[in-house]
Amino acid sequence: MRLPDWAKSRWVVVPLSAAACIAAWNGYVVLNAGGVVEGRVVDGAGRPVPGATVILLERNFITHNERQRTTTDAAGRFRFTGNDNHSLQLEAESAPLGRSDRRLVRLMFRAENVTLAEPLRFAGRLP
Amino acid sequence: MRRRSLLLLRHACLAMLSCAMLVPFYWVVKTAITGENIYAYPPRILPQNPHLFNFVDVWYLIPFPRYLLNSLIVSALVVAGNVVLNAMAGYALTKNFAGKQAVLLLLLSSMLVPFQATIIPAYLITARLGLLNSYLGLALPLLSAIVCIFIFKAAFEAVPQSLIDAARIDGLGEARIVLLVLMPLSKAAVATNVILAFIWSWNAFLWPLIITRDPSMQTLPLGLARFLSYLEDTTGALYAFAVMVLAPSIFVFLMAQKEFIRGLTSGATKG
Repeated sequence: MRLPDWAKSRWVVVPLSAAACIAAWNGYVVLNAGGVVEGRVVDGAGRPVPGATVILLERNFITHNERQRTTTDAAGRFRFTGNDNHSLQLEAESAPLGRSDRRLVRLMFRAENVTLAEPLRFAGRLP
Repeated sequence: MRRRSLLLLRHACLAMLSCAMLVPFYWVVKTAITGENIYAYPPRILPQNPHLFNFVDVWYLIPFPRYLLNSLIVSALVVAGNVVLNAMAGYALTKNFAGKQAVLLLLLSSMLVPFQATIIPAYLITARLGLLNSYLGLALPLLSAIVCIFIFKAAFEAVPQSLIDAARIDGLGEARIVLLVLMPLSKAAVATNVILAFIWSWNAFLWPLIITRDPSMQTLPLGLARFLSYLEDTTGALYAFAVMVLAPSIFVFLMAQKEFIRGLTSGATKG
């Protein structure tokens, strides 16, 4: 099948290619925008910290404000749902260990499902 | 052999010159994907840890899609207006009529008057028409450009008169002669009009600043200024915004560059 000449024009090919890329990206966004943020909390020795409070702060133009809190399970895992921001900060606190460093998490789109590659880490060690 | 060496040397010089001219663009893109301080010394040539998060920030922190839509609508109106109105004016100027030289002189002398000098009457006329804070009002002063009229005039004059006479004998009216005979033979002029009109309207700042009252009617250059006032310390996001504003006009230029250059050079050799 031969395409007509107008269909091979740059004025058709480039906008259609751009539209296809945009459609593909939007499809990916729809499939991955669940608003789930999950990860682990460990102590200085790399052992999971159960019962630590994890705070999720979301970006509000130029500041980060607290949005949600949750507690880690026995394996030191935490999970937030309903995130609708694209720039987050995560911080863990625990009575014996104090506070972890605040971790900046930047997403490629709002509500992107994300699992932290590196766990939130306390400086101290659990007894 | 010597001739080939000279050719190579010439092309190497041209390539280096081209690269030198692209350095500012490279620097803007590099800063957009890294967020590095542009005043850092010594400057880094290659980007360190490049990422696209600055573009995400721009997309979400301000109503970028709305600005983009506004700019696209206004640019589409301006491009359509320029192609139609300039073609009509250019065709009229290929004809002989009483006072043609005076009209040409008036058009040429009007090019010497800067837009800033006519902005108050333009505003008053737009207000009287009830077009303030509207897409048509944003496009109105850019709907025709004298330079582009002359580009069409030069392109139409290059078409043999016999073709036009034959079309007239076949029963075509003036409008259909322009549409069906002259325009298809003047693709370079059309492309030049499209590119120039698009770039002018896309980059317009002063007129949209004056005529828009509602932030939701602002275009991308106004959004850029607003963004700068909000986030003056976020260099990466600012440069990402600049890249996002520039990208569509660069795309349009790249798509039509051959016709654009042909249109300008064919016009340049006419008297």
